[in-house]
Amino acid sequence: MTHALRASTFVADAERTSWHDETLWFVRQKRDKAVYAVPEFQELRELASQIKEHTLSRLDEYLMQFEAKAQRNGVQVHWAANAQEHNDIVLDIIRRHGATRVVKSKSMLTEECHLNPHLTGHGIEVIDTDLGERIIQLREEAPSHLVLPAIHLKKEDVSDTFHLHLGTEKGNHDPQQLTEAARQHLRAKFLAAEVAISGVNFAVAETGGVVICTNEGNADLGVNLARVHIACMGLEKLVPRLTDLGVFTRLLARSATGQPVTTYTSHYTKPAAGKELHLVIVDNGRTQQLGRPDFRASLKCIRCGACMNTCPVYRRSGGHSYDFTVPGPIGAILSPNIDLKKHSSLPFASTLCGSCTDVCPVKIDIHTQLYKWRQVLAEAGEIPAAKKWSLQFMGRLLASPTAFGIGGRVARTGLRLLPYRLTHSKTFNAWAVARELPEPPKQSFREWYRETGKV
Amino acid sequence: MTHQHINKVTSSRENILAAAQANKPAETPLPTVPDFGGDASVERFTQVLAGIGGRAVWVQRPQPLEPVLAQLFPEARRIASPLLAGAVDINAQTPTALLAEIDLAVLEGEIGVAENGAIWLPEANMLHRALPTVTQHLVLVLDHRCIVATMHQAYARLPGTGGYGAFVAGPSKTADIEQSLVIGAHGARSLVVLLY
Ligand code: SF4
Repeated sequence: MTHALRASTFVADAERTSWHDETLWFVRQKRDKAVYAVPEFQELRELASQIKEHTLSRLDEYLMQFEAKAQRNGVQVHWAANAQEHNDIVLDIIRRHGATRVVKSKSMLTEECHLNPHLTGHGIEVIDTDLGERIIQLREEAPSHLVLPAIHLKKEDVSDTFHLHLGTEKGNHDPQQLTEAARQHLRAKFLAAEVAISGVNFAVAETGGVVICTNEGNADLGVNLARVHIACMGLEKLVPRLTDLGVFTRLLARSATGQPVTTYTSHYTKPAAGKELHLVIVDNGRTQQLGRPDFRASLKCIRCGACMNTCPVYRRSGGHSYDFTVPGPIGAILSPNIDLKKHSSLPFASTLCGSCTDVCPVKIDIHTQLYKWRQVLAEAGEIPAAKKWSLQFMGRLLASPTAFGIGGRVARTGLRLLPYRLTHSKTFNAWAVARELPEPPKQSFREWYRETGKV
Repeated sequence: MTHQHINKVTSSRENILAAAQANKPAETPLPTVPDFGGDASVERFTQVLAGIGGRAVWVQRPQPLEPVLAQLFPEARRIASPLLAGAVDINAQTPTALLAEIDLAVLEGEIGVAENGAIWLPEANMLHRALPTVTQHLVLVLDHRCIVATMHQAYARLPGTGGYGAFVAGPSKTADIEQSLVIGAHGARSLVVLLY
């Protein structure tokens, strides 16, 4: 199924689409306010980009430095080539402790690896503790945004879900009271959990430590009460130095939600006395992406979500229309690396307006990469025939002034005479499905110029 | 873990490192990060702190904190703090059930950051790693001379991150339900900074 087809279910509810669009635009505006308040913000973006580029250019060395430091700190380091290995490693650790109750804070990586179904299938209770993630977990849905996983839902939806699963009063839509109910429900889970799984925002090569950023405090609460902490990270999370965090912590929350910083920026370097800290370093296609010169910059991403908040297509099509763990513009350039065929429509889910590139805190050339993926897809024969032929035809037409002149004359007459059913046929012209063609003019600019030039 | 499993994982490490080495681009330089200066005033710090849902209160030290705390948290029964006599005894070995009953934790912060209201709280000042988030309310005591302008300056001042430490900026919060801001998600419901 294509992005456009999946989006059609989302846009069928016009009111909700507008609400989604406006809500995310509001987040984008909060980002602007926070960003404009920092005079050196553009310099910080450049620094962040350079630091990440440098790290990628010496990735193997930094990974080894990080591993050695972490091990010296008493951390157990694991390597996973793919999702399956990652899931096996995590399950293995949990089993070795005879644990069945697990809490998990936000991690797009474990989402990418489909860890939850794997654990649940082996009799482990795994509770997502980020409020948004808990909501969608109860609804058995996937997150629709990188940092706002339940942004596709209204408070009425949350109220119904909580009424069903947590026994809150029916029809009580108050976010304050719903959050309080979740707090009570999750507190019991935190107190009982034997193992806590978390994601990682940054991993520091020189200290061997990892940094986790949350607003709710759910990562810290879970991790610091449980006996075992398993932190799962994609190998692109590395930065070389502790002081590099000065740059990234100044960019992340401002770009994401317009906050000056997340409530908790927590540095885990050594396990607490008598406890265990495991780090699972995951590849899952990342080193392959590193080998693609046109697309490797996507590995600089710090998962702030700014590119989706600003994207006119994401805002009006919703995260689920991408059918990939990471939605929006960044998802559209990460997904073809994983499965070119399955995600072939995503690089086309863009107007190429470049707004994503403008806001990206690590200066990823997102819209250029979208354009380049389109070329890769065309080469691989992964674009629909109608689009392929019409683009080839247009290419030839626009390259020849004579053909363009004749073509224009034919179109001006043709559009007036041809039946609507044909010009708006879904088969030949998908573009016109939700659009009206303009009234064809009587003459072209060139004809008009020739005439008026004579005067 | 089976022998086979260990072999597989070990070879994954080698494969990943080999692929990273083979596919990495030509080396680019690591930039030096400038200081950028900035406003390190107490006014800026307290203003930003208020903006993120925290509250600053001036106290005199070394005068006892009890009267101020009694005024701010008249309901708090079980208080954990290395700074108060007669507080609940909490240490790294304290069981979860006891931690869960703490109403208020009063801990010492090390560095304040004016641009975002964050305060560096190292493990050594926490009594138990979970205390700052498991407590219902959190008070951080901070010397106003330890306020810096930005995160760059805060990291430059950190002697290290120890085993665990966190920048704490305001109370726990969420906006996951329709983007409405709610204070008190899973961690502390309120944050007061006692400045001296
Ligand atoms: S691509 Fe850039 S803007 Fe998008 S989520 Fe990643 S870091 Fe943020």
